[in-house]
Amino acid sequence: MQLRRQPLPAPRPGDPDPAAPLLVLLLLLALQGAAAAPAGPGEPEDSGWRQDAEFPRGLLSQAARAALHFFNFRASSPSALRVLAEVQEGRAWINQKKEYKVDLVFTTELYNPEEGKEHLGKCSARVFFRNEKPRPAINITCTRLIEKKTRQEEDYRLYKYMKQLKNLLDVVSIPDSHGHIDPSLRPIWDLAFLGSSYVMWEKTTQFLHYYMAQLSSVKQWKTNEDAIDFDYTVLLHEFSTQEMIPCHIHLVWYPGKPLKVKYHCQELQTPEEASGTEEGSAVAPTELSNF
Amino acid sequence: MNEERDEHSEKGQEQKSWCSGTWEKRTPHMRLQLVWPLQSPGSFSIAGHQVLRISVADEAQVQMVKELEDLEHLQLDFWRGPAQPGSPIDVRVPFPSIQAVKVFLEARGIRYAVMIEDVQSLLDEEQEQMFASQSWARSTNTFNYATYHTLEEIYDFMDMLAAEHPQLVSKLQIGRSYEGRPIYVLKFSTGGNNRPAIWIDTGIHSREWVTQASGVWFAKKITQDYGQDPAFTAILDNMDIFLEIVTNPDGFAFTHSKNRMWRKTRSLTSGSTCIGVDPNRNWDAGFGKAGSSSNPCSDTYRGKFANSEVEVKSIVDFVKDHRNIKAFISIHSYSQLLLYPFGYKTESPADKDELDQVAKSAVEALTSLYGTKFKYGSIITTIYQASGGTIDWTYNQGIKYSFTFELRDTGRYGFLLPASQIIPTAQETWLALLTIMEHTLNHPY
Repeated sequence: MQLRRQPLPAPRPGDPDPAAPLLVLLLLLALQGAAAAPAGPGEPEDSGWRQDAEFPRGLLSQAARAALHFFNFRASSPSALRVLAEVQEGRAWINQKKEYKVDLVFTTELYNPEEGKEHLGKCSARVFFRNEKPRPAINITCTRLIEKKTRQEEDYRLYKYMKQLKNLLDVVSIPDSHGHIDPSLRPIWDLAFLGSSYVMWEKTTQFLHYYMAQLSSVKQWKTNEDAIDFDYTVLLHEFSTQEMIPCHIHLVWYPGKPLKVKYHCQELQTPEEASGTEEGSAVAPTELSNF
Repeated sequence: MNEERDEHSEKGQEQKSWCSGTWEKRTPHMRLQLVWPLQSPGSFSIAGHQVLRISVADEAQVQMVKELEDLEHLQLDFWRGPAQPGSPIDVRVPFPSIQAVKVFLEARGIRYAVMIEDVQSLLDEEQEQMFASQSWARSTNTFNYATYHTLEEIYDFMDMLAAEHPQLVSKLQIGRSYEGRPIYVLKFSTGGNNRPAIWIDTGIHSREWVTQASGVWFAKKITQDYGQDPAFTAILDNMDIFLEIVTNPDGFAFTHSKNRMWRKTRSLTSGSTCIGVDPNRNWDAGFGKAGSSSNPCSDTYRGKFANSEVEVKSIVDFVKDHRNIKAFISIHSYSQLLLYPFGYKTESPADKDELDQVAKSAVEALTSLYGTKFKYGSIITTIYQASGGTIDWTYNQGIKYSFTFELRDTGRYGFLLPASQIIPTAQETWLALLTIMEHTLNHPY
């Protein structure tokens, strides 16, 4: 299977999206210092990899998820978020360190599907699950789901809408316990999901994957500058451990520009740490009446 | 890791964290044990009782509070006992002792706050709230199936259903939860004596709300379709159905009161402050093997030994006593999967081909309704390795048709599935259940 590749020019601030008939995203991540594109199978640099005919059954889905999180992050477009539909085909290679290289083809759907309209996209990707790297290395190419102009207009519309939103600090729990998201807050959820995509990309391995379960609080919402500055916490649901991981995420977004994200996720309490009389994380300090 | 907030809130907040009932004297360091059912007022009065939160600054103050604890005549009820400086101490103080306790603390410069001014009135308020805010259905025909309900509402529903269909439905209590709540199973039977039976459970993981909601819908559906739908009537004319809707009532109550994302039971683990055991890792099938955690703080904590959880043991005892269960279906969410054993080992069950065939047909039936896509296969190959799981145990007991469902969705909403999807989910799942039940009926063993 040949991957179509087009080099992506280095993004410069203020640059418009490089024009291309298809929406093509390719990021060549430095792999252990090498700046070149990852070698295809059979080439000299690739001699560490041997094809694994019996790779674990979930590996392709893991790779697809990681690739899509990365894609969503790099697209930086809250109106064009994608989710995995179906893995169609894939191959895997393994090396001596038990790391995996996966080539796969899969279909995608829009995260926010429109009533009655089916938007099925197709992606091909190469994913490296390394042991010491903090996150899977991804090359991904996807067919366009939405006209670029439409996407840009929609992003800008969302941006204008969000700029005039106030009083978000008392937002807690989206969706609520019953799965309800107020339509007026839906864009916040989408933006939170965009930021979470970066986190989920970094954390996905061949064994662990994530879904964003809930936007649990808004710490800060600043729109006085050009960009939207959004500081919030989410719960990420982790498979296969079933844990709910609270993550604090801070993102800065402007339509058409690459998303900037910083985050910190809480670790699971070890048995040794759980030695006080408190379970879990911070308890709000209480007022003392005779103090 | 679940964020644990303080159990004893300020007056006016989170009143659902209490369950009316007797207040038991507890040893220090234990959390409040809730006892069910509600005791009639007058048999035990807590009027005027206050709950104080004491803040000890140093070890000396800890000792002083321990002295207070030893004064039996004060009848103090420590909800959170003296431990170390920095850890708050919560104590319920009966009305006659309030003055003495406050004087004791103030004389020693020990800081405290009144958490709850009057415990009784708080309970009264809670009762009022429950009746006011919830639309109390008077029959199962006016019950709202398209919304999520509280434990009380579901238990009420069961009583109504049994009262409306006394010939068909009865409510059995198979045990009491860790916190003392009754564990109920609905039995649907048209007679006979210990007929071969189908078992269905929902809500073993409390945060999987669409499952309990579907269980309620199934219960109603059974009473509607018997005598109306020929295929289903044939099933119930020859077999019994047992339906446990709230398999983890403590966890379920907790998802309403404190933490919507709670999964496990609410049992205390000695040596840890983390609470709860994963009831789907606590069964005696590959217990302790890879696929569960030994960390009490983990959401897949297996427990100290198999069947340590009363919620699990109650079912185990029921199944062993009954001896004639022929199909066992345990329902979870989310991921849209239909699974058969095993989870703890890669070895295929002897009946793998048949189970795979049944799963395939069941999924086809499910998908036929709304196009919802399901995958199927064994637990270990389709989802992940999991040890101590329910259907591995039931299969090893000889219950051939052992299946687990993971209902909607595939991650968009996850556990927070919009209520508008409850009925469609229940409807499509019912078609899959019918397929399994029919197969069981037609393949006696």
